[in-house]
Amino acid sequence: MKFSYNFLQSFFDKKLPNPNKLGDLLTLHIFEIETINKVKNDYVLDIDITPNRAADCLSHYGIAREISAITGLNLKEIKLKIKEQDIGKSINIEVKDPSECPRYTSRIIMDVKVGESPKYIKDRLISCGLEPINNIVDAANYVMLEMGQPMHVFDFDKVDQIIVRKANGEVIEGLDDKKYELDSTILVIADSEKPIAIAGIKGGKDTGVSKGTTTVLLEAANFNPLSIRKTSRKLNLKTDASFRYEHGYDPNLTEISVNRLAELIVEVAGGKVSKLIDKYPKKRTPLKIKFDEKQLEKLLGVKIKKPLDILKSLGMKVEGNMITVPTSRPDITSNVDLIEEIGRIYGYFNLESKLPMTYLQPTIRDEKLVWASKVKDILKLAGFTETYNYSFVTKDEKGVGLENSFSEDMYGLRKSLLTNLIKVAEKNSKYAKDICLFEIGKVFGKEKLMLSAIIVGKDKFFELKGVIDLILKGIGITDNIYIDKGYKQAEIKIGGLSIGIVGEMKKNIYAFEIDFEKLVKLASDENEYLPISKYPAAIRDLSILVSLDTRVSDVMNEIYEHSKLIIDVDLFDIFEKEDEKSFAFHIKYQSNSKTLESSEIDLIQKNIINGLESQGFIVRK
Amino acid sequence: MDLKDIKNRAENEISLAQDFNQLKEIEKKYLGKKGELTQVLRSLKDLSVDEKKNIGKESNILKNVLQELVNNKNFKEESKKDFFDVTIPSQKIKIGHLHPLTLVRREIEDIFERLGFKVVEGTEVETEYYNFDALNIPKDHPARDMWDTFWLKGKKGLLRTHTSPAQVHYMEKNSPPLSIIVPGRVFRYEATDASHEVNFYQVEGLMVDENINAANFKAIIEKFFEMFFNTPAKIRLRPSFFPFTEPSFEVDLQCFICKGKGCSTCSKRGWLEMGGAGMVHPNVFKYAKLDHKKWQGFAFGFGLDRLAMMKYKIDDIRLLYSSDIRFLEQF
Repeated sequence: MKFSYNFLQSFFDKKLPNPNKLGDLLTLHIFEIETINKVKNDYVLDIDITPNRAADCLSHYGIAREISAITGLNLKEIKLKIKEQDIGKSINIEVKDPSECPRYTSRIIMDVKVGESPKYIKDRLISCGLEPINNIVDAANYVMLEMGQPMHVFDFDKVDQIIVRKANGEVIEGLDDKKYELDSTILVIADSEKPIAIAGIKGGKDTGVSKGTTTVLLEAANFNPLSIRKTSRKLNLKTDASFRYEHGYDPNLTEISVNRLAELIVEVAGGKVSKLIDKYPKKRTPLKIKFDEKQLEKLLGVKIKKPLDILKSLGMKVEGNMITVPTSRPDITSNVDLIEEIGRIYGYFNLESKLPMTYLQPTIRDEKLVWASKVKDILKLAGFTETYNYSFVTKDEKGVGLENSFSEDMYGLRKSLLTNLIKVAEKNSKYAKDICLFEIGKVFGKEKLMLSAIIVGKDKFFELKGVIDLILKGIGITDNIYIDKGYKQAEIKIGGLSIGIVGEMKKNIYAFEIDFEKLVKLASDENEYLPISKYPAAIRDLSILVSLDTRVSDVMNEIYEHSKLIIDVDLFDIFEKEDEKSFAFHIKYQSNSKTLESSEIDLIQKNIINGLESQGFIVRK
Repeated sequence: MDLKDIKNRAENEISLAQDFNQLKEIEKKYLGKKGELTQVLRSLKDLSVDEKKNIGKESNILKNVLQELVNNKNFKEESKKDFFDVTIPSQKIKIGHLHPLTLVRREIEDIFERLGFKVVEGTEVETEYYNFDALNIPKDHPARDMWDTFWLKGKKGLLRTHTSPAQVHYMEKNSPPLSIIVPGRVFRYEATDASHEVNFYQVEGLMVDENINAANFKAIIEKFFEMFFNTPAKIRLRPSFFPFTEPSFEVDLQCFICKGKGCSTCSKRGWLEMGGAGMVHPNVFKYAKLDHKKWQGFAFGFGLDRLAMMKYKIDDIRLLYSSDIRFLEQF
């Protein structure tokens, strides 16, 4: 909210610190200052009022009280001078449901002269971003800026009575010239015929003050914050008044505010003031809290001198350690709230750092994070660049549905990391070669952590498979297998458990996606050393011709079957012809207990050849 | 045959020699087969025995001195054949890159682990209860407007607007003393610009014991920034409002560029806003079923993106989610 420096100064006899100094003090002790601007001969401080203090600090008087507590400057007492009298006019005010409208306070002023406001009022309204209209409306706005209480003024002669009730489908034309439909959940101020204001939000046009107005009816009311909030949302109408009421206002503020407005109207427009009309069936009384000073020191870690003086400076009544909190401070309900008040006026910036005394505990990191970190390092070393993509996908990509979508491009939640990864890989291909990207992130539906990587290029299937093997080996998994799932597509399985897929996702775009949560359960950093054989290894080569639909894995399994002395079968060449292809292997033999004889190896090799031939493969000799 | 003259000239020339070839020439001129000093030695045979003895001795000493001077110059013969150009650009070794957010996150996790904090994770989809109610943010309360929220269809859940729900989750399952940090992705339904994104990262911190106080928070966070930015850090706490902490603080770090004098990095303020913090609200302990009279502690939440942006001088948060390899390969 915008605050006028001159307005704030008017509450003090002594000079306030200069605007920048004052801004710094407010920032350090209560609210952040957005900007300080010079406007004519005034300064405007845009102060960011936090929601907990809306009830008292959306007002110059509220901020002045804070300034007084912070600086020690004395705040002038508000002394109102009104000559109230029997003016021979009255009005019937009826509140149907006091829980919706806990208080309705009013006065009538007759013989007012509508005209222009004095300069000081106009200047201050302009400083605070309000447009001067006429002396009556300006006075009502001025008092709202001063006291915080939203005020409304009706033309008395256009209103026969005041009934605070729910609407029943009526329409009202507001002071903003717009029409609003009022259903039965909406609280209105009505006369005997029709609504004349949307309660706490906006006045009606018909009954507003105009040039010819001579008698006015003042309204300072208090409304149920929830009800105002709901109506404001329903009508999509936010006003200064609705914003204030939403935060829960002090019903005890209406009387002083209506009196202040009466005083100001007489000052600027003349007139005679009626007696107070006040509907306030259930008075709100101040809360009493027992102050516990020990907790103050314990919670803030500092001993603050004379904490009770600070509470007094904020308008609280102190009797022993019993604190009476004014009703204008609904945010204070317990001892920690009092501690906050003392702490901030003392200044948190004065706190001295003290390292905590606590138990030493081992800091074990979440397993998932440990493995994710390790996998990221492996992928980085393998040449992959990490990306962080949006959790959202477009409308066409059919993600998990949202109640409130952000845009067509960010419509639902991703079910797979690949959706966005493929897109960014394609985008990057325009200005870079050899794109290798990865991401570890959450997907939705059932929320889980996934790992995906992508390579752009021709025939990258086996490179990517190699990357998967590398990752799995890096986290202690070596028994992974790949199962056909359509052309250039495979399912990745570990011990019968499917953990993900790999394949060509689009032409020349190869990618995999692995369920990282499943992977973490299988990961292990145990690694047992195998003794290195003291005896030499022997290598024999074998080349076979097979039909085009033969799998290498079948041939390799067949070879391994023949002897425990075969420690490795390494495919070193595949050659495809039109109707057949050839595989060439290095077969490595080694024993842990002796040097193998040539004849021994020859025998096994012969068995392998026989075995393969019996399966219909042709061994090239 | 003036040995002194030879000595002076030879020493002078050797000292002025600029390269191997020049030095070789000088060496040849004095010490070579037909060199001046060699001539002197050769002419000894024509002299008397005494002269032979004296001049011979002096000549030999001078020969050794000069040879040593030549050797000390330590010039090496250059050969065109062995020319090796070390300035040819390096061979490119293909390696990938980790995302700046990962790098910063690791650093944060490492620092807090060294300070005794455990790193835990929460979920990105939350219930309204944990994201709001249990954090003392009542339904239909204007305070909720501080967080613009994405809701799942049918309002069956929401995308967490902060990492704070993890506080309650963790305290429900673990008794104090506890100290944790929770890094993770959070979501806000708000227009994007250079400093706002619909998804971004936060790191939540929580430390609870019987006597953990605000001064302790200041010390811990000061240590963190000192370690993160590698420079002495000055922290300033000022009042703020969060429903789940009381009192609540805004954490300012004295600008480490201008040391508080005011510069472009801190928009002339001298201080950088780093995040929110406060002492855990008694109601949050109540929701987590912990005794609020026994336990107390602090909680804080910082933007990870902002820390990364400060560390690497990145001026637009959207770059972090652009997946542009020209950006990513710089890390």
